[in-house]
Amino acid sequence: MPLLQNLLTTFLDTLTGHLALAIYLLAVTDERVMARRLKKLPLLLLSPFLATLLSAALGAVPKLMMFHYFIISFAVLFMCSLWVRHTWGFGFWRAFAATCMAAVFQVAAATVSWMAYWAISPDNASRFAVAAGLHLGCSIMGSLLLYKLRFGAWFRLLLDSQTPVWRTALLLFGLEAAMEVFLQLLNGVQAQFLAFYYLLVAVMAVLMAAVVIYRARQLDAARIIQAQQDTIARQQLYEQDLEDLRREMRAFCHDYKNLLAGLSQQAVTGDLEDLHHTLSQLDNGFDLGLGAKLQSLTPMGNLQIPQVRSLLLSKLTVMEKKAVECRLEALYPVDNVAMDIWDYVRCLGILTDNAVEAALDTQRPWVEILFLSHDGQVSFRVSNPYKTVIEPGNMWNHGWSTKGPGRGLGLASYQRILERYPNASSCTSWDKGVFIQELTVEDRR
Amino acid sequence: MIGIYLCDDDDKVRHQIQTALEWKIVAEDYDMKIACSAASAQELLDGVKNGKQGIYFLDVDLKDPQWDGFLLGRELRRRDPHGILVYITSYKDLAWRTFQYHLEAFDYLVKGPEPMGPAAVQCLEEIHARLLDKCQAPEGTFTLRTGDMERHVPLCDILYFETASTPHHILLHTFGSRMDFLGSLNELEDQLGDAFIRVHRSYLVSADKITAVDLKHNKLLIGEHECLLSRVGKAKLRRKMAGSP
Repeated sequence: MPLLQNLLTTFLDTLTGHLALAIYLLAVTDERVMARRLKKLPLLLLSPFLATLLSAALGAVPKLMMFHYFIISFAVLFMCSLWVRHTWGFGFWRAFAATCMAAVFQVAAATVSWMAYWAISPDNASRFAVAAGLHLGCSIMGSLLLYKLRFGAWFRLLLDSQTPVWRTALLLFGLEAAMEVFLQLLNGVQAQFLAFYYLLVAVMAVLMAAVVIYRARQLDAARIIQAQQDTIARQQLYEQDLEDLRREMRAFCHDYKNLLAGLSQQAVTGDLEDLHHTLSQLDNGFDLGLGAKLQSLTPMGNLQIPQVRSLLLSKLTVMEKKAVECRLEALYPVDNVAMDIWDYVRCLGILTDNAVEAALDTQRPWVEILFLSHDGQVSFRVSNPYKTVIEPGNMWNHGWSTKGPGRGLGLASYQRILERYPNASSCTSWDKGVFIQELTVEDRR
Repeated sequence: MIGIYLCDDDDKVRHQIQTALEWKIVAEDYDMKIACSAASAQELLDGVKNGKQGIYFLDVDLKDPQWDGFLLGRELRRRDPHGILVYITSYKDLAWRTFQYHLEAFDYLVKGPEPMGPAAVQCLEEIHARLLDKCQAPEGTFTLRTGDMERHVPLCDILYFETASTPHHILLHTFGSRMDFLGSLNELEDQLGDAFIRVHRSYLVSADKITAVDLKHNKLLIGEHECLLSRVGKAKLRRKMAGSP
């Protein structure tokens, strides 16, 4: 009977730990739609169950006593990573990194509840309940604090960065292991030093969070500098274009005078037919030369968000290189989008890349891009011809592409970005060989 | 009788178009008349009758701080959802596709050295043909709104509605498109009536578009799309099948 009770206690203990971990995971991954993740929570319950069994099995090997706790912790970490991988659709290292991060906070909260376990009332059952309640309470408070500090957003940034995720994951695993050691040390701390001990744990947890945020900020700054450099480079190209245009204008001005002289000559001789002919030639000549150039510059001037203009300039350059005919329209100045500008640029990048790639399969590739901005609402529309077969049932799935497996992560991540913006709506249509993607962002504030 | 409205601050251009159109209407005996010929946007808006389909010839470049061609078109579209918009522009670099997509503009005429009359007459001919065409096939449409833009989707094109992963968003699937808008399936179910069946908490499907029912795996096939089927949905589906001959 005591064995059974022991097992039950271990189970409830690990279960509480798992729930706390799940709470922190939500905060760490900056989850907005919690219900969707919590739906898969029952699957996580498998982990405390297995951990309890493992614990019982390890109990039979007394030599391992020292490492008992660590083996189980590692097993739990591994199982939770698998759960995160399944629930969030992350890769393994990403899931592992997120789990380690959440575990650091969970373990820190656990030390507090352990203290409660030893300090409060002698009655075994209520003692346990209080400790578990305290643990979950601390976790919820901590999680809310992390949300408030936007820790998750920074952490996601770190996971999305260029550095290999496995390195971040291993670093976090190291931190997590250190935290676990701390928890074990609790057994050896004398009563009068407990307050210092908790202070130390709290400082450690805060420091670890600070390290992550610092690292993420550093990456963010580097990214912004890189983007600014790109922007400057492209702006220089743009200015070069403007300079060419100015030169052409001067040449045109010169020709124009000659043409006018010729025209007045024709008018004097009264040759209306000829006059007409010359005039329409002049009109067409303007449309083909300067007119076309001016037309391509007007919309670019209307894209007043540097990141967006920079992206479009680079995509237009790529299209020109690949001989894709491109039309760009921006009727009104686009100066504000009610969404994180980097996310917006990522969306535009994905949609434009897809359009160019699909258009290249066709005989006469073209891409058409329209921006329309008014009353705080910005709509973006890109269309292109396509040749491949559209599979509406599969198109949105992770990794689907007409080019075979391992490609086509674009649309899936596009979807994932938009999930965080209830003020954005997308529309996709395909008809008569033309594929159209639209993204409308409203300003609802 | 369909009213034709002109708006251009260039009297000569307006006069050319008006004369040509009047002549054409008489010659072909169209059921149309020039209802208003205005030099400014405000004058035109004052002359427009709400809720009646009209044909509008509008200058893109109105020299007016408050109205340009696009904004005027949007206002007219609001008052007259089925109106036909034709734009008059002095250069070919009009952001024409934007006008076409966002205002469903019908056509545009370019001001050049030649008189505008013939181009306007040809345009009117096309409009007339299109109006005749429209009369023959009236059909129900579903209107969805994103921001201040409306889309009209023919009911017969709709395959099914599905809840999106973003809260309060609904996905509408048709043969050739997928649209995302704010809404609720419950309201849609009430609004659309019997032609659509709520087969699952997250799916509202068009009854006559179902291609196959997989009772074993609780799934529905609509073309290449797969929908989930709940227990309640199954019962509804059975009732529907029993009810129809």
